[in-house]
Amino acid sequence: MYNYVGILSFGDNIMKFRFVFILMVYNFSSVFGQTSASDREFFEQKVRPLLVEHCYQCHSVESKKTKGGLRIDSHESILKGGDTGPSLIPGDPEKSLIFKAVQYQNNETLQMPPKGKLPVKEIAVLTEWIRRGAYFPSAEVKVVNKRTIDFVQGRKFWSLLPLSKKDQPKVNHKDWPLRRIDYFLLAEQEKNGLKPSPDSSPSQFLRRIYFDLVGLPPTPSDFEAFKNPTPADYKKLVDKLLASPNYGERWGRFWLDLVRYADIPESWADTKGHSYLYRDWVVNAINNDLPFDQFSILQLAADQLNAPVPDQAALGLMGLSPSYWKELQLPVDIIKTVVAEEWEERIHTLTSTFLGLNFACARCHDHKFDPITTQDYYALAGMVSSTRPVDLSLLEEAATKVVLQARQKVVLLEAEVQKLKGKKPPETPEKIKELENQIVEIKKKTPNYDAPFAVGIQDASLYVVADGPNKTKLNYKTNQPQNLAVHIRGNPNNLGTVIPRRFPTVFSSPATKPFENGSGRLEFARALFQEAQALSSRVIVNRIWKHHFGVGLVETPSDFGVQGDKPSHPELLDDLASRFIENGWSMKWLHSEIVLSKAYRQQVSPASSIDPSNRYLARMSHKKLEVEAWRDAILSVCGNLDLSLGGPALELNDAKNNKRTIYGVVRRRELSDLLRLNDFPDPVTHSPNRVSTTTPLQQLYTLNSPFMQKQSEILAERLKRDYPESNSAKINGLYLLLFGRPPSSKQLEIGLEFVKLGGLVWSQYTQALLASNEFLFLD
Amino acid sequence: MDFPFTRRQMVQALGGGFGALALAPLCPASSNSSVPHFAPKAKRIIHLFMNGGPFQCDLFDPKPELNRFAGQKPPGADLRTERPTGALMAVPYKFSQHGQSGLPISELLPNLSRFADDLAVIRSMHTDNPNHGPALFLMNNGSITPTRPTLGAWLSYGLGSENENLPGFVVLCPGRPVRFAELWSNGFLPAQHQGTYINHSNLDPKKMIPFLENTMLKPDAQLKQLQLLRLLNKEHSAERNGDFALEARIRSMETAYRMQISASDAFDIQLEPNKVREMYGKGHFANGCLLARRLTERGVRFVQLYYGNGQPWDTHSGHNAGTRNLCKDIDQPIAALLQDLKNRGLFDETLVVWGGEFGRTPTTENSDGRDHNPWGFSMFMAGGGIKGGQAYGATDDFGFKAVENKVHIHDLHATILHLMGINHEKLTYRFAGRDFRLTDVAGNVVTKIING
Repeated sequence: MYNYVGILSFGDNIMKFRFVFILMVYNFSSVFGQTSASDREFFEQKVRPLLVEHCYQCHSVESKKTKGGLRIDSHESILKGGDTGPSLIPGDPEKSLIFKAVQYQNNETLQMPPKGKLPVKEIAVLTEWIRRGAYFPSAEVKVVNKRTIDFVQGRKFWSLLPLSKKDQPKVNHKDWPLRRIDYFLLAEQEKNGLKPSPDSSPSQFLRRIYFDLVGLPPTPSDFEAFKNPTPADYKKLVDKLLASPNYGERWGRFWLDLVRYADIPESWADTKGHSYLYRDWVVNAINNDLPFDQFSILQLAADQLNAPVPDQAALGLMGLSPSYWKELQLPVDIIKTVVAEEWEERIHTLTSTFLGLNFACARCHDHKFDPITTQDYYALAGMVSSTRPVDLSLLEEAATKVVLQARQKVVLLEAEVQKLKGKKPPETPEKIKELENQIVEIKKKTPNYDAPFAVGIQDASLYVVADGPNKTKLNYKTNQPQNLAVHIRGNPNNLGTVIPRRFPTVFSSPATKPFENGSGRLEFARALFQEAQALSSRVIVNRIWKHHFGVGLVETPSDFGVQGDKPSHPELLDDLASRFIENGWSMKWLHSEIVLSKAYRQQVSPASSIDPSNRYLARMSHKKLEVEAWRDAILSVCGNLDLSLGGPALELNDAKNNKRTIYGVVRRRELSDLLRLNDFPDPVTHSPNRVSTTTPLQQLYTLNSPFMQKQSEILAERLKRDYPESNSAKINGLYLLLFGRPPSSKQLEIGLEFVKLGGLVWSQYTQALLASNEFLFLD
Repeated sequence: MDFPFTRRQMVQALGGGFGALALAPLCPASSNSSVPHFAPKAKRIIHLFMNGGPFQCDLFDPKPELNRFAGQKPPGADLRTERPTGALMAVPYKFSQHGQSGLPISELLPNLSRFADDLAVIRSMHTDNPNHGPALFLMNNGSITPTRPTLGAWLSYGLGSENENLPGFVVLCPGRPVRFAELWSNGFLPAQHQGTYINHSNLDPKKMIPFLENTMLKPDAQLKQLQLLRLLNKEHSAERNGDFALEARIRSMETAYRMQISASDAFDIQLEPNKVREMYGKGHFANGCLLARRLTERGVRFVQLYYGNGQPWDTHSGHNAGTRNLCKDIDQPIAALLQDLKNRGLFDETLVVWGGEFGRTPTTENSDGRDHNPWGFSMFMAGGGIKGGQAYGATDDFGFKAVENKVHIHDLHATILHLMGINHEKLTYRFAGRDFRLTDVAGNVVTKIING
């Protein structure tokens, strides 16, 4: 035995890498049977250079990333192999994976090197090497252990720790706090040398709270009534707004962001049900202050709960899952990858929405940072793959049967009519007439014939199977849930162990029980609010907090993992989440708790150098209205807003559509100009929070769109009608209407000067005020 | 109150003169301070997208064996594509060698052949899915789903805008390519990075950009309105210590106003001299190429030009006749574009990328058509940073499947980003707990096609 220290360097133009052997201590006795000097020579002269050149960029201890879990730089690692098993069988090239891979035998699934097939000579070298027993010098190379997830340690991460109420912190400035959260905030401010900002004016506060809770501006009489509010008036105001049906419209829309709501999904989607029934269910549930846990459980498993029929509309969350095109003329392995993408999207949406962790990261490998294994992913994928979107009747069972039978009859009759009409020469016009009458009759006589169906789900497992040699079939097996095998490296055509459907390991020690009830959605949903309640409550509390303050306690609302933001006030978040649960998961309770705080009442102040991003909330920040609130506010001050609730979605570029923006059509594949230009979240995927941008294309809409022009004209007419007496009165009235205050003397002067110009001057003036920053931003 | 209500005073009050607005980029705004990671070889990209998928062996990948075995189905010609295909179908077009490099190019592209020494043809492209949708997504966003940000969005995010008066990512199509807006999505990047879609089948610039024109007000009246708005906003902002968000919107409003003029100018190819218009020739694609040049020279970072409505290159039947016409349509304009870029000194800093979402089969479909082919196809690059006059990689004997120096879409993206000064592994965006990148977990830069 002797030591060998070698440095081999290969500079290759194509591969552009240099591989350096460092300190390999060789022990020249092979474990692969008899070793002869010629084997050694053959290896060092022919095989090793080849491996270094073609394989080690991805399959050695020096690789930046070891691909396929395979290293072929020591005899142990060669025998152990990678994700697909041992890389070779000494002495038997034909049975060795390496041999098959370099031969490009398996169409596309395993072809190495990926850049192109090796020259025949080099393949022959490898074959000979395996045939001779695959000699490899045993070398004491430092073995890099594959990382395994330590759940005990993982559960100690802040977001996964159990919740508890905290002691109310001591503060110096004792008369400042109004609510419990104020103590937590003030304590941190004092520690960091910050002082809270003064209260905002009543009119500033009124505008803020109206937009915040109901997404609409206050009227001049609201401003009048809130001129000198008493402490009790604040509470009364908040109660009034939370009781308004407009509250559910405002906050329901934020929920729809998370679940990638669309009125018009892909044309090939499984269900033709009406999305708006789900949207209206969400709005109603929020208006009714349905406890958040129940709100969520119904959306995941209303069918398994035997919930009342109207609540079945809640199933739209999964029913509206994006569908990717599946060309069934293609072979099964391709379609399986498309379906695997769909499952990944669903798991991403579910886990990000409810748990603030993205389990989709664990599809190909254990999560790099969070305690989530690939097995956890496939345990959920089993549940998702056992769930199918379907059309859902919101009628009682018997009534549904009648409707379905009637519709079936109509379909047959219509086909008959078509057939007769197609005949040449057209015969039996009387017969056609008679059939058409029958159709009219059935439609008229059948109760609820036109009742819209909702988007639902049912337990049905999807099997992607071959249909002959080249085509594919999608088979659904109703009420037969399936477990999925791990897709090795995320490849659905390369399967590992079958994983029972179950809740993720990190939430349940010591062992996780498999789901027993159908697909397991109900068990999953309940576990979110039991085993995982510390996390799920923190996540929703933070979402609502972030919408109110603009800054989250955790700034990554859908990432509560190791890579996410750390909470600015961990004790406050825990305390608030505990009390949220104590208060029956009531979202209205949570809103009140937040907006009645002293912190929320502060005015907008310039950023301090101590806290430029306002994590300590010693001030409020300007808030730009979201596109929905902005459009609704314009319609509202122009006196055009149609506040009727719910119903089918309407086109936003329809000049006659004056309903709230939440009722505007959302096309998954193409947003309307208004939404697209103004930061509306993309409905193809889960959106954790609103991202506000300022672009010239938005301003072109503000300056030039027919919508703005029309509303400005209507507003100008309104001024002329309501304030015929003078220009000053008109300008005064406009400021009261838009901002709840009269114009400053300078603003009045500017306005009077402007309207002297003549022409379409009043609508230009009203448009400028609607386009102004004061209208778009909240103090 | 003294209103500067003359047009010139107004424009000055808005901070800038019209002369300066029309052409020169205002102030470059970068959105990602660490980018570029190294000196870029190209500043801007024009992507000529042959939507539907052209057949590699018609144009850049001559295969004598294909014609020799025409009518037969030897082993290797039986790869599975979208639909079952028949025997090998001969290519009726002749190839000859061009330029000093001797790069073979088909007789279908006589004008483009003059630029052989500028082209790096990649003959070994391959992609993952034989359907248009997923393949279009892959080419644009590196995945087979519509959920990721597209190349143009990544560039906008990484490199920012060179001209604040124009969108940094413009998509031109005389109609609607299949999958439409999903092909230029910003995905999870902020919405300012989405592509601005322009249907240039109508050449009136005012019809191209949404809401570019104010149909109610004459320019002078609008100037006055803007002056009013500015006064009010400035006062509002001053009371709030010039808050950043408020000031940003004031600037943006003024940019929008200027865009009405500068975009009208940038998108108006009728302002080009006849000589130039003749050089490009007639037709939507020619107009698109000329528009692309006008936008490129004004600093638009990424111009993607789709050949046409739907998927015109999707020749499932009547392949040869269709291809002849399609090539007639693109040959002169692409040659003109390359020449024009050279004339203006822009060629070396503009990367021109040509190709479809996949190729077509050497085998036949519907007796005279060709099916989609994800296994192997050709693309070319020219201009900024490209070592021209070469064919890189190879397909098999029939031009069916890439076999040598294979280049996956991830590799193409890595290479394009590299040319723009971006390390594709470092341009990331944190979303849903993961640092996403255009090239997912793959991608190798094809260094052999890069100069220096």
